[in-house]
Amino acid sequence: MNYLRKKFYEYYLKADIEAPYRIERREFAFLFFNESTMKRHISFKNKEWLLRYLKTSIPAHVYYSSAYYNNPSAGTMREKKWMGADLIFDLDADHLPNANKLRYEESLERIKEELKKLLSFLIDDFGFDEKSISIYFSGGRGYHCHVHDKKILNLGNQERREIVDYIMARGLDYSHVIVERSIYSKTYTKTIEITPSSPGWRGRIARGIISFLEEVKSMEREEAIQLLKSFDGIGDTIAQDIYDGLDDRRMELIREGKIDQMAAIKRLLKPLIKELAVKLHSSTDEPVTADIKRLIRLPGSLHGKTGFRVTRVNLNNLEDFNPLEEAVVFGEEMVKIDVKKPFKIKLKGNDFALKEGVVKVPEYVAVFALARNMANIF
Amino acid sequence: MEFEICQIARYPFIEDAKNWVKKEKIDIQEVLYEPIYERARARAVERVEQALKYGVIKEKALLDEIECMMEIFSYPLARLIVAAVESEYLVRRYALAEAKKAYESLKKEETAIIQKIAREFGIEAKDGMVHFSDYLKFAPTWDIKWKLVNRVMDKGYVELSNDEICRLIQEAIRNKIQNELFYMFAPPDINKIFGELISKLKNKLLAKEIKKVEGISEKDYPPCIKNLIAAIKSGMNVPHVGRFTLVTFLNAIGASTEDILKIFSSSPDFNEEKTRYQIEHITGKISGTVYAPPKCATIRTWGLCFPDELCKKANHPLLYYRLKRRKNELSKEKIL
Ligand code: SF4
Repeated sequence: MNYLRKKFYEYYLKADIEAPYRIERREFAFLFFNESTMKRHISFKNKEWLLRYLKTSIPAHVYYSSAYYNNPSAGTMREKKWMGADLIFDLDADHLPNANKLRYEESLERIKEELKKLLSFLIDDFGFDEKSISIYFSGGRGYHCHVHDKKILNLGNQERREIVDYIMARGLDYSHVIVERSIYSKTYTKTIEITPSSPGWRGRIARGIISFLEEVKSMEREEAIQLLKSFDGIGDTIAQDIYDGLDDRRMELIREGKIDQMAAIKRLLKPLIKELAVKLHSSTDEPVTADIKRLIRLPGSLHGKTGFRVTRVNLNNLEDFNPLEEAVVFGEEMVKIDVKKPFKIKLKGNDFALKEGVVKVPEYVAVFALARNMANIF
Repeated sequence: MEFEICQIARYPFIEDAKNWVKKEKIDIQEVLYEPIYERARARAVERVEQALKYGVIKEKALLDEIECMMEIFSYPLARLIVAAVESEYLVRRYALAEAKKAYESLKKEETAIIQKIAREFGIEAKDGMVHFSDYLKFAPTWDIKWKLVNRVMDKGYVELSNDEICRLIQEAIRNKIQNELFYMFAPPDINKIFGELISKLKNKLLAKEIKKVEGISEKDYPPCIKNLIAAIKSGMNVPHVGRFTLVTFLNAIGASTEDILKIFSSSPDFNEEKTRYQIEHITGKISGTVYAPPKCATIRTWGLCFPDELCKKANHPLLYYRLKRRKNELSKEKIL
């Protein structure tokens, strides 16, 4: 048995896997070491059978369906009979702009920011109970968010897509969200009045504008004007107007949500909204969430390309959660590996910078290096 | 709260209507044959004809209890006629017309009545707030102003005016009637009474349904467009940007409004008026601006792109279409 598979075996011998809700209604799928085809349409009547399967076949990747089926092991969708599905969000560093330029640790931190935004949407806007939301480190480059709530169980593709669109601000037309009014004081000016505590996108946009203008005000004149000019359609004059207009009295009004100079503010809106939205999907993929049937990694299982465990993240503990500590499950025993590609990584708080050639490293580094295909066992 | 007979007459599809008919112990045979129900039968014919002609059934002044009764009975009769014609198009159009009629009356009702009817369709409307899951089931989200993202939502509840709640109910009614009619068989008696009308409608609608889009080479469409057409035909609720892509593309390759309508008409939630309006808006007949089809990069961000080999050479669906046509024409020449 090769080293990686042996280590996975040792893990699954003792592992406590969190079985998905209604496990008997889910389809499972597996990928194995050195095999490229996925084994699908498998079902288990309970957790014990699943654990037994993991111990005996030692898969490299374990997935289960977000959908519930009447007959999960059937070969076709028609025979499976869809009964409903959880709502799944996939936040992956690959979906971030400039993803490939970021270091692994950095990209995970960035994704956490997206995750926080997502949680705020789910809890504040959609009103999901915190108890119905589970967050997992994916074992790879991101986080998965599962929503299990009977209200959304039966929603179809199109309805789920509306949820995704909401969170990503896709199709947002701010003229529907914020209502402009013309007021008269010497001349007619367009203003909006949105209290920052308003619910939904309305409040988000208000808070976005306010905090942006606060930021602008706190800057040096030159710097502020440069920043403003970086927006499409804002030139010297408008930038100066905005900055110079931000006196204390106006800032007071703005903080209350009385925002004028709408002609100029409007130019800021689009990029601002983009910042406030969650960046969920990559350029080529259909946003996976909109799908009423998809496969997701099993919590507690190992990711075959990193050796990290798909790990539950406590909602209150998100800030402190460090996947490169808590998802590392292997031991300290020293092993010799032959590094093919030099790499750097910080695992369990220790920095490793490995050069080509044979080195002795703790088992948890060896597993990572082998899974990434950056080293061989020596 | 129980509905009174004249309210039932306005909403003959509600539970109370069924209960009322049961209580009155009148059976369908009677309504079909007895001379005293002649007015109900005439109104049934009117319902179907108006639905077909105007897409909506006009409200009728109901002056006394007898007229209300006739109005109530005309509804099941009209349904039987529609079922007997066996035309999907008529089913859709009729369901929509009934729903619109109900909407017109509902708008004028008190909040309590709106709420009660909403509840029959599983929509809980409290103080102008509807849960987003109910909202999404019925809102016409292809319309930008109905997209969830353009709504004010707080803790799962979407803020709606009474009018808007009525609009959701309209959609729920349309759904219900349409689904019921798709699975309904008319008893042979119906043909005895309304035979003439039924065969007239059959002939008329048959001619409508076999019309085909011509002069356009469908096999050369890029995958994104093919996919959109398939999605619409299979009854998926295609998002606004998808419809936009499809209409601008078809318009650019020379399809007429009618051709485009034809494609949308196979969608189960086809609404001729709205679709025509949308098409004419996008193709510049109303707005004066002719929108160009979006480029691949944009289509991709909408998640509507399903590229194949040839797509590598195209950055625009129109370019794909032209490349493919040329290729096919060239290969045709070779065979000759
Ligand atoms: S690459 Fe362009 S033409 Fe091809 S499917 Fe995608 S959007 Fe359509």
